[in-house]
Amino acid sequence: MQSLGVSAAAASVAANAEATAKSGRAGGSDGDAPSVMGPNPIDLTLTVNGVKHAMKVEPCTTLLEALRLHAGLTGTKEICDRGSCGGCSVLIDGVLAVSCLMLAIDCAGASITTVEGLAKADGTLHPLQEAFIRHDALQCGYCTPGFLVAGAWLMASTPKPTLPQIQQAMAGNICRCGTYTNIFNAVLEATGQRPLIDGTIA
Amino acid sequence: MSNQANTDAATLPPLANRPLNIGSSMNDDASRLDALAKVTGAAKYGRDVHPANALYIAFVRCPFGAATLESCDVDAARAVPGVVEADVSKRQGNYHGATVGHVAADSPLSLRRGMAALACRWKRKGDVVTTIEQGIEAEPELPVDAKAMIEQAGDRTLDATYSTEVQTHSSLETHGACVDHKGDSAVVYVSTQGTSSARDGLDEALGLPASKFEVVCEYVGGGFGSKLNGAGKEGMLAARIAAKHKRSAYLFVNRAEEHLDTGNRPSSRTRVRVAFEADGTIKGGHIQTWGGVGPNRGGGGVNVPSGRYRLGQITTAHADISLNGGMPRAFRAPGHPQGAFAEELMLDEVAARCGLDPLALRLRLIKADAIREMAELGARLIGWDKRLVNGAQAGPIRRGMGMGVTSWGRFPSSVDAEVVVNRDGSVEARTGTQDIGTGQRTVVGIVTADAMGVPLEAVTVRIGRSTLPPGPGSGGSVTTVNSAPAFMEAGKAAATQVLELVAGRTGAPVNELTIAGGEVRRNGAKVMAWKDACALIPDTIIGKGRNTQKTVAADKTTGTSGGAQFVDLDVDVETGVVKVHRIVAVQACGRVVSRKLAESQVIGGVIQGLSYALFEHRLLDRQTGAMVNPNLEWYKIAGPKDMPLIEPVLWSKDKEAAGPRPLGEPPTIPTAGAIACAIYNAIGVPVRSLPITPDKVLAAMAGKGGAK
Ligand code: FES
Ligand code: FES
Repeated sequence: MQSLGVSAAAASVAANAEATAKSGRAGGSDGDAPSVMGPNPIDLTLTVNGVKHAMKVEPCTTLLEALRLHAGLTGTKEICDRGSCGGCSVLIDGVLAVSCLMLAIDCAGASITTVEGLAKADGTLHPLQEAFIRHDALQCGYCTPGFLVAGAWLMASTPKPTLPQIQQAMAGNICRCGTYTNIFNAVLEATGQRPLIDGTIA
Repeated sequence: MSNQANTDAATLPPLANRPLNIGSSMNDDASRLDALAKVTGAAKYGRDVHPANALYIAFVRCPFGAATLESCDVDAARAVPGVVEADVSKRQGNYHGATVGHVAADSPLSLRRGMAALACRWKRKGDVVTTIEQGIEAEPELPVDAKAMIEQAGDRTLDATYSTEVQTHSSLETHGACVDHKGDSAVVYVSTQGTSSARDGLDEALGLPASKFEVVCEYVGGGFGSKLNGAGKEGMLAARIAAKHKRSAYLFVNRAEEHLDTGNRPSSRTRVRVAFEADGTIKGGHIQTWGGVGPNRGGGGVNVPSGRYRLGQITTAHADISLNGGMPRAFRAPGHPQGAFAEELMLDEVAARCGLDPLALRLRLIKADAIREMAELGARLIGWDKRLVNGAQAGPIRRGMGMGVTSWGRFPSSVDAEVVVNRDGSVEARTGTQDIGTGQRTVVGIVTADAMGVPLEAVTVRIGRSTLPPGPGSGGSVTTVNSAPAFMEAGKAAATQVLELVAGRTGAPVNELTIAGGEVRRNGAKVMAWKDACALIPDTIIGKGRNTQKTVAADKTTGTSGGAQFVDLDVDVETGVVKVHRIVAVQACGRVVSRKLAESQVIGGVIQGLSYALFEHRLLDRQTGAMVNPNLEWYKIAGPKDMPLIEPVLWSKDKEAAGPRPLGEPPTIPTAGAIACAIYNAIGVPVRSLPITPDKVLAAMAGKGGAK
């Protein structure tokens, strides 16, 4: 019964996934979803980086928890768990979202990309990952996945972002170690532009 | 920079190939050895380890500045499905976040429900102390000598009080540990700045002999001083629960708890009373400081006078004020940024009173020649000649420039280094230190490669495990300065052993052999490929190196790291908003091991200083003592749009270039002071209280806040 209800919910959620993702909100599905789900675990399948992950989660599970605890994808970080650091950023059908503010069940049927999915299957890195390495755009590295996902999302829509556009795209991300300068340089270089600072030892 | 209307940043010449960095680095181009793991999400931090069947643990905490626990339903918590343990042993809390018990459950969700079922009812205890001012009974009298000096100086005295707020470390990976329990052994993943010391006490907590467990800490999501306390109470509790239930156990605190109970830079109040002469010479006076600390006094020191300037005869006194707030811990240059803020702004105020340029005054007062040279260089780079006199501008947007200086001494630390060479030519550099983001892993690799003459790619660095030879904790900027000599020695010892084997095989004298370009050479000519040379190794070769307190004392190649920073900013006097446009940070760190990583350290230190100057403020409710902003939306940390153009300049010269010097801490010391001076320059009134938020700027402009 539970499982049946959930499949229906999942299908409905899938239909709404795009709208949900576009609005950037973890909205409930209206229409034919059951009015009550849980609290017991329900079946859910998430498509992450092209791979299907079947799991049993309680309906209140966030996408972030589902990724880290149930799909074993720990590249996506939990830092604030309330939408104010960007560390948990993922792409949902190509749109940037913070996974700590989304319910996992709202993402059934969507195509989710995490930091683990930025490189190609053969290991070829995303140009931004390469540029992060070259420009030392990371120290402890804990904020790095979030910045990379936000940067990749920006690059997908804006081939030559200006510095203010880069700052705007990353305005939801925090780095405590203070790597912003190098992050900007990495995005500029990855989009074929001149970095701001390239100090050399003379 | 985010402001397109600002033409200054836009018209700056590109920095590529500007002769900024004077000196040479051991490796200009190397990227971090762990960068690939970090950009692909493969790097496993302690918080990322989730063993199957683990117990999840959370602390029960006091929600107010001072309160008594009147009731709590431990039985209800225990009855929640999945909860295996609920224990509340204490009844009192004297700061928000003080721990009184814990709950353990077999999933994060059961844990949350168990915590909620406790339904703790707390009763607040009377008044709480949330500010230093509340704890000061009376302003102290001047000591006799200082009093006489100040009375004699008449008008040429400054009496000013400077204050700073509590800054939390806010490491993005919170404090905690995960114990992977394997029956008669365990692996303990800890987020720590001291891999080797995190082992202490865990044997007892785990009920296992030291040989039966290992501390692993391959990646750490920041620490900044807050993770120097071994496994911490988080690790100890996780270990005890793992031992008791013979199960894996996971305890990482959440963001709120991280703000409340894992340390902070304490608040400060500094009252300066000094006498000066017409030419700005400071005759002396008295500086009284207070530190706003936790319920247990201690840790509130304010480093002023810093000793970097000639300030005449200064006497000092200090008192810690106990607040009903979380306890301080070492935070990147403890006591220094708050002291430098008071000292630098005081100098600008004296300069203004004497009608002097604050750079000119400082050049006279700075004690160390190297720092004076760095200040001259920084002034040129920022364009100090364009600086206007204080408060000379009209209009809504006013520009200001300011400066500050820094220095940091070398603290000794013991390091045991091992360099292993295998028969296949691979090299392993091993020590039980950790990389909290400083790049220590890469530094060890570069030094080892340099010592041996092999390429960096040939070296694998093994750190972050307590079973390795003991390595340094990441505190006091000690890791690079103390590991470099140890790995130099170990690398050379290992290389010599390989060369001896080659000498034995070929008959060439060992002292004529060198390693370079993937081969063993004699007088520049190839004798044997590196791989072939290593194939002569019977088993493995181990080169050892050691740095001790004694060798440090005898080592004259390294010493203090000085620096000078310059700030160029705008203040919007209608809104009070400060926009920093450029910061030039000239920083000495002796011989640079890795240019890219050293620049990152400088940039990071500057950004933390900027964030401290303008935004960060732990806000305690005056009535309840509860922290009202234990999160990252209201506890504001500088973000991408707050960034100026930051220009790090690595400075090294003469004998100072011989060996590495400390670098982690010094670049974060002068930034806040330099920003405060630049704001003073822009608006003509000093804002003597950090963070310099728009309300304080507006109050100062209205003539109220300046002397606060
Ligand atoms: S963890 Fe999701 S935004 Fe911070
Ligand atoms: S690199 Fe440490 S938080 Fe960004």
